Amino acid sequence: MANDKAQGVEGDLLVILRHGPHGTSWLREGLDAALVAAAFGRKVTLLFMGEGITALVPGQTSGPLGQKGTAPTLEMLEMYDIDTLLVEAEALERFGLTVEGLMLPVRAVAASQLPAVTADHSLVLTF
Amino acid sequence: MRYAILLMGAPYSSQAAHSALRFARALVGRGHRLEGVFFYHDGVHNAARLAAPPQDEPHLVDGWAALANEHGVPLQVCIAAALRRGLLDEREAARHGKQGHSIEPPFELTGLGQLLDLGLSCDRLVTFGP
Amino acid sequence: MLLHILNRSPATSEVYRQAMAAMGPDDRLLMIEDGVQGALESLVGRFGGLQGRLYALEEDLAARGQVPLCDASVTRVDVEGFVALTEEAQRTVSWF
Repeated sequence: MANDKAQGVEGDLLVILRHGPHGTSWLREGLDAALVAAAFGRKVTLLFMGEGITALVPGQTSGPLGQKGTAPTLEMLEMYDIDTLLVEAEALERFGLTVEGLMLPVRAVAASQLPAVTADHSLVLTF
Repeated sequence: MRYAILLMGAPYSSQAAHSALRFARALVGRGHRLEGVFFYHDGVHNAARLAAPPQDEPHLVDGWAALANEHGVPLQVCIAAALRRGLLDEREAARHGKQGHSIEPPFELTGLGQLLDLGLSCDRLVTFGP
Repeated sequence: MLLHILNRSPATSEVYRQAMAAMGPDDRLLMIEDGVQGALESLVGRFGGLQGRLYALEEDLAARGQVPLCDASVTRVDVEGFVALTEEAQRTVSWF
């Protein structure tokens, strides 16, 4: 899913994920909310903003004390029909990452497109 | 209008719970219906039955219970988030072989689906985070 | 038209930038809790471009002794005004 022309992204639920894996429970809890919505048949979009983009860095493991981490949950997104994964373009740059180098197919969204993404979903949850 | 509140901050540690309770009271005062308060992340601590703040400080747990009792507002606590943080009602405590319990009515342990239900069926869902 | 709610000071957290990036041209921003520090004259400039769309919760300014320090460009609202802002917007997005 390359970074092609701006195309409307809309849905029932937009989950904005602003935190990376392991450091806090936000990412895990946000993903759980997204999965539940998808399980109920809702159209869910995930937007990884800021540090949230590090959730998609490949090669993650469980935590030092055996914490599960979020990589396994992310691998399951497709099974739940969550296939609209957006990443903030500025975050990619800030963290020195590329769309191709992430663990899942994503679409980069420029800052100018963020307001439309936020406005085009019936419910927005931030984690 | 039909409102719902998502609260993700623990009482005392941040202002989230205070703001949420103020907002809840104000919206009810303006004639809106508060269809439910969903407690997630550290917000589950708002259900802690054993909370014992000093007399001259706000008692958030009692504050939520009063709101529920006066206006019939469901207080829904995410069971997964609660269990991880040691908030268990009598049933869960028995199930896990624990002595004592830390959540009681009007707080109710429910699944995350309830949050989505509230969010998608209400006119407004307002989130208060830490 | 959405209402964005910010509870962190722009002096201590970058989340305000994410909020602003997500804001549409008619969206409003309400500062609550520590976010009201954004109403200080020295910090309000961080919200450039939000002319007439920037609000602060009065009781949080008052608790912090910051009512007299609130920049004139910020509209102060009480908690009923907070509810009114949520009525007027289609939905709210919280940034913490």
